[in-house]
Amino acid sequence: MRVLKPFDYFEPTSVKEAVKLLSTHGDKAQLLAGGVDLIPRMRKGAIKAAFLINIQNIPELDYINNGKGFKFGAMARLHSLETAKEIQKSYPILYEAIHQITSVQTKYMGTAVGNICVGTPASDVATVLMALDAELTIAGAKGDRTEPMAKFYVDYLKTSLKPDEMVTGVSLPNPTAGMGTAFLNLVRTHADIAKVTVAAALTVENNVCKEARITIGAAAPTIFRASKAEALLKGQKVDSQIINKAAETAAGETRPITDLRSTAEYRKEVTRVLVSRALEKALERAKG
Amino acid sequence: MKKEIATFNVNSRSYDVIITPNMTLSELLREKLDLTGTKYACGVGECGACTVLVDGKPVLSCSTLAIAVRNKNILTIEGLANGTNLHPIQQAFIDHGAMQCGFCTPGMIMMTKALLDENPNPTREEVKEGIGGNLCRCTGYVKIIDAVMAVAETMKKGGK
Repeated sequence: MRVLKPFDYFEPTSVKEAVKLLSTHGDKAQLLAGGVDLIPRMRKGAIKAAFLINIQNIPELDYINNGKGFKFGAMARLHSLETAKEIQKSYPILYEAIHQITSVQTKYMGTAVGNICVGTPASDVATVLMALDAELTIAGAKGDRTEPMAKFYVDYLKTSLKPDEMVTGVSLPNPTAGMGTAFLNLVRTHADIAKVTVAAALTVENNVCKEARITIGAAAPTIFRASKAEALLKGQKVDSQIINKAAETAAGETRPITDLRSTAEYRKEVTRVLVSRALEKALERAKG
Repeated sequence: MKKEIATFNVNSRSYDVIITPNMTLSELLREKLDLTGTKYACGVGECGACTVLVDGKPVLSCSTLAIAVRNKNILTIEGLANGTNLHPIQQAFIDHGAMQCGFCTPGMIMMTKALLDENPNPTREEVKEGIGGNLCRCTGYVKIIDAVMAVAETMKKGGK
């Protein structure tokens, strides 16, 4: 059994205290939320942490609430989000992405914000949150800021977070009238991460696309918005022809790799198929 | 790295243990408290063999730091039976032959406890989803699911 390398451990009880620790220990520190990704990767030696800052005892991070938009904190567990009625009703693709995670233990332990901050392109939950136009609230030594998820990812496992910053919460805008959403992924088995993940949010009025967001996971170094495909749809009458064209465009925007799960060529082709199906499904849901 | 004496409540008993922050909950249970019913297998949270309950919620003890759960209520497979009387879930697993090598069994049973505490009346599909994070390498799942469905029925009738 491999043991974890030694580290100094902190248990702050406020965001202020956590940020102070981050600004002192900088990039040698790791934040511990659910631990489902961090602890195994520390055991493998893939992450080295001289300092570990456990944020589980910060009450102000553990909330889910619904007011103007929908907000949840960095310590909101996936299981709490999955069982929140408001999410099931207003953000069905977020429910679907969490529900299909097979390990119940992971959902009791893990958090959506942890999922986002790992920075893996293969996060279904983060792909869906980007399609829902999520905005992150970030606390840091120089003050608080917000950042749309679409701008959060810089490169593979790299986010825009500075060493003294942490994500404290996520806000989702209210679903607009005429918006339909869809989430699809292709997996060998649901216990595995996806070969390709796609989420779409389509706002349609009189069959004309008012707004389209298409996000793609596991087909580039980061999760990204297929902005060319989105631009193609906007202002157009939505039919199979334009959906197919958008799907082809989205596939062209991927930069996939070949690994044990799929070849790059396959990922590109599957992106085309999934985007097309996701748009059809979102359109159907938009029509109610 | 600092050593410290921490208090752990395991199976309604209090233990004071000298720990370092890098000790996981599975190491604490198995190596410091000699509670070897909790199994360590994959070490990366894929298999569920190390599942225990912390404040009633199922967690992977291989991916949980011991220091993070001090003063919380930890329940392991050893804490389920009442003296020599097996817990109904344990009895159902025996009655239905829901184990072969037995390595996944403690994790399966603890996950079943969490599942039935939250949903005492699960459908077969809900049981499958409930144990989705627990891998069995030999028996397969049919008898395990049979056992969980049967014990849900027994416990609903107040049977022990």
